[in-house]
Amino acid sequence: MNIWQSIKRYAEENFILASLILLILFFGFSSNNFFSVITLTTILNQLPALTVVTVGMTLVLIVAGIDLSVGSVMGFCAAVVGVGAVAWGLPLWMACLMGLGTGLICGAVNGLLVAYFSLPSFIVTLGMLEMARGLAYMTTGSQTVYIGSQIQSLALPLPGIGVSAALIFAIVLVITVQFVLTRTVLGRYLVAIGSNEQAARMSGIDPRPYRLMVLAVSGALAGIAGIFNAAYLGSADPNAGIGLELSAIAAAVIGGTSLMGGRGSIIGAFAGVLIIAVLQNGLAQIGVSEPTKRLITGAVIIIAVLIDRWRAKHASAS
Amino acid sequence: MTGSARLAISNLDKAFAAPVLKGVNLKIARGEVHAIVGENGAGKSTLVNILAGNLRKDGGEISLDGNIYAPRGPRDSYAAGIACAAQELSSIETLSVAENIALRAVPQKKFVIDQGALNAKALKLMQRVGLQNIDPTSPTEALSLADRQLLEFAKAISFDCQLLILDEPTAALTAPQADHLHSIVADLAAAGTSIIYISHRLDDVLAVADNVSVLRDGELVVTTATKQTSASDLVEEMTGRSQTTATQRRDCVSDAVTVLEVTDLTTDELPHATNLTFKSGEIVGLAGLAGAGRSELLAALFGLVPLTGGTVRRIHNGAEQAVMNARQAVRNGIAYLGEDRQSMGLFPGQSLLANIMVPGSADIRTLQRIDYKKEADEGARLVEKLSIRCENLAQDIRQLSGGNQQKALIGRWLHRDSHILLLDEPTRGVDVGTKNAIYDLLISLRQKGKTIIMASSEIDELTTVCDRILVLSDRKLVRSFERNDFSEQGILAAAFSEFTASVENRSTSDSKVASRQR
Repeated sequence: MNIWQSIKRYAEENFILASLILLILFFGFSSNNFFSVITLTTILNQLPALTVVTVGMTLVLIVAGIDLSVGSVMGFCAAVVGVGAVAWGLPLWMACLMGLGTGLICGAVNGLLVAYFSLPSFIVTLGMLEMARGLAYMTTGSQTVYIGSQIQSLALPLPGIGVSAALIFAIVLVITVQFVLTRTVLGRYLVAIGSNEQAARMSGIDPRPYRLMVLAVSGALAGIAGIFNAAYLGSADPNAGIGLELSAIAAAVIGGTSLMGGRGSIIGAFAGVLIIAVLQNGLAQIGVSEPTKRLITGAVIIIAVLIDRWRAKHASAS
Repeated sequence: MTGSARLAISNLDKAFAAPVLKGVNLKIARGEVHAIVGENGAGKSTLVNILAGNLRKDGGEISLDGNIYAPRGPRDSYAAGIACAAQELSSIETLSVAENIALRAVPQKKFVIDQGALNAKALKLMQRVGLQNIDPTSPTEALSLADRQLLEFAKAISFDCQLLILDEPTAALTAPQADHLHSIVADLAAAGTSIIYISHRLDDVLAVADNVSVLRDGELVVTTATKQTSASDLVEEMTGRSQTTATQRRDCVSDAVTVLEVTDLTTDELPHATNLTFKSGEIVGLAGLAGAGRSELLAALFGLVPLTGGTVRRIHNGAEQAVMNARQAVRNGIAYLGEDRQSMGLFPGQSLLANIMVPGSADIRTLQRIDYKKEADEGARLVEKLSIRCENLAQDIRQLSGGNQQKALIGRWLHRDSHILLLDEPTRGVDVGTKNAIYDLLISLRQKGKTIIMASSEIDELTTVCDRILVLSDRKLVRSFERNDFSEQGILAAAFSEFTASVENRSTSDSKVASRQR
C-alpha cells in the first residue's frame, strides 16, 4: 500500500521520467532484442547531437524566443569541419574549433538582430535556417566530405567506460546548464525575462544582453552538434540536421518547457530527448513501418503537452 | 417633463471589487447635451461602458425612449441607436480610414466590398468633421493623434443615432478643431440627437452642454443647468467630501540630504523642462488627471524612457551619478513600482519567493550560486513584515489576492533596501485594510530616511501620506504644495489649470500633439 502510494506520488511529480521508464519497459517486453547492446549503443550514439542542440533550444524557449536555425547551423558547422580538415588540411582540433566558432557567429548574428534590432526570433532564425543551409552546400560543393576515422574517435565508446566522449560531454552539459538555470542569478533572470519582459525591465534587468547570449549559446551548441555529427558519420554531410530544430523543440516541450517562455527544465528536455530516441528505436525494433513511426511520434508529442497542460491546471486549481 | 425622456437611468449600481456606481439616477431629454464631470475614478467611464454594452450593470434600470434597455454586448447598443466615441481610441490601425469609419456597415456588392461607395461615404463624413485633407484610403496608423480622435468622432456619427456618447472627445484636439467639433455637436442636438459629453475641460463643458451632472465616488451628487454654475462650483462639487487631515504627526527628519536631483528634464512625453530636488525622509506626491504625465515622470526618473534633455542625478554619500537606465537606477538604490501590477510587476507562474527576489539579486554576480536557505529566510522575513497572506513561499504569485500581490511587489524593493521608491498608484485595486497597511509602511520607511515619490489619482491619499505634493497638468509641472497648504480643491484646481486655460495655451498644445505623433 504505502510503497504503491509513494511510487504513485513520485510518478506524478516526475511524470516525464515515469513515462520514459514505462516506454522502455514496454519495448523491452514486446521485442526480444530491445535490451541488447546493439540497441543501446544505437540509441546512445544518436543522443549527443540532439541533446546538445536541445539544451540550447530550451534556453531560447525559456526567454520566450525560438531558434529554428539550429539544424542548418549544425549542417553548416559540420561542413566547415570537414572542409577545414580535408580541403585545407588543418589539424583536426583546429577544424573543430572553426566549426564551433562558425556556430557561435551564426548564433550571435541571430541574437544581435533579435535583441538589438527588435526583430522576432521566429523570423530571424527562419532566415538563418535558409542561409546556413545554403552556406553548407556552398562550402562542400553539395558533396559529402569524407574526413576519415580520426574524427570518429569522438563518437566511439571510450575503452573502459563504454560511452563516447561526445555523450559524456552532452551529459555534463545538461547537468551544468540545469544548475545554472535553477541555482544562479543568471538562470533566474532568464526565467524572469521569459515570464514577463516588461516586469523584468522594470526590475532593473536589461533583457537585451540575455537574449543575445542565449541565441549565441544556442548557435555555439549547434556548432558542437555539427562536430559530433561529423564524428558519428566520419564525414561532413551538407544535408545533416534537416528537421533537427523540430525534434529539439519537441524534446524541450515534452520535457515541460513552455513555448510562451518563463518555464523550462534542461533535465526535462533531456528526458524528452530520451523519449524520442527510445520511441524511434523501439518502434523500429517491433517492426513498425516508417510512416506509422512518424504518426506515433507526432501523436506522442501532442499527448505529452496535453497531459502537461492538464497537470499544470490541476496543480494550480488544488 | 414632456413625454418620456430619451435616456432614463434609475438606481444604477455597478461594483467590481468595490462599488463603482452607487444608485445613479439620470434623465436626458431629446436633443439635450448633457455633460458628466468628475475626478478620475468617479465612475464616468464605467457609466459609459454600461451604456455602450461593454459592461453589464449590477442593479437598477435603464430605459431608452421609454423602452427597457439591457444590452448584452456592443451590438445591442448599436441596434438601440447608441453611438459612442470612446476615450481610448479604438480605430484599427492597419485598416484604411474609410474602412474604419464604415466598419459596422461596409457597403458590399455581391460579397465584395464596394470600394467606391465605401470611400464616398467616408469622405462625406470626413469633410463634416474636418478631415477633408486626408485620403480615405490611407492607413489609419499614418494619422496624427488629433486626426485619429476626429476619426473616432466620425465613426460615432456615421449612422443616425438617438444617443451619442462622447468621452473626452477633445483631449488631443487643437482649439479650432475642438470648436468645429462643438458646432457639429450643437447641430446634432438641434436635429434631436441626445448627447452625453464627458470632459475634463470644464470651459468646454460650460460652453457646449445644456445641463451638467457631477459624479463623485460613484454617486451622482448634483445635476444643474450649465447657465447656473461655474467651473469653480463644479470643482467644489467634484471634491465635495470633507477634507481628510492626516492623523499621524510626523517628525521632520532633521538630517535631510538631497538624494535625487532633476535638472531641465524633458522626454518625448514630457515636453516642458522640469526641475526637481528630492531629499531623504520625505514622501512626495504626484497629482494630476489621467494623462497629465505622472506615470511618465516616474518612468523618466527610473531611466525607463530616454531623456530628450536634462539630467537625473542620484546623489549618494557625496558622490553623484547620472541615472541613464533602469539597471543603473536599481544599482543606485532606486526602486520602481509600475502602475499596472499584472503587466509591469508580476512574473506569473513563478513562486512568491522568486517574485520577491528577482531584482534583489541585482548586485550578486550573475553566475554566483544562490543560497536557497538564506533566500528563503529573507523571503519569510519580508512576508512576515508585510503580513502577506499566502500558503507558503513556493505558492504561485497568481493565486494571491491583488492586495497581497501588491505587498509582494513592494517587498521586492524592501529586500534590496532601496533608498528611493518610485511608486505609481501603489494602492490601485487594493482593499481599504491593505491600503492603510501600505500607508503605514510608507510612513515608517520615511522615518528611516527613505525617499518616496508616489503618483496617485486619489488626492485624499496623497494629502494623507505626503509631505509635499507636485501637481501636473497636461504634461507640465504646474504647482507644488507644502504640507501646511494642502487643500483638495487647490490641488484639483491646479490639476485642471492647463485644461481650462484658454486659447493662448491651447495653441502651444499643437506642438505637443505633434511631438506625440511618432
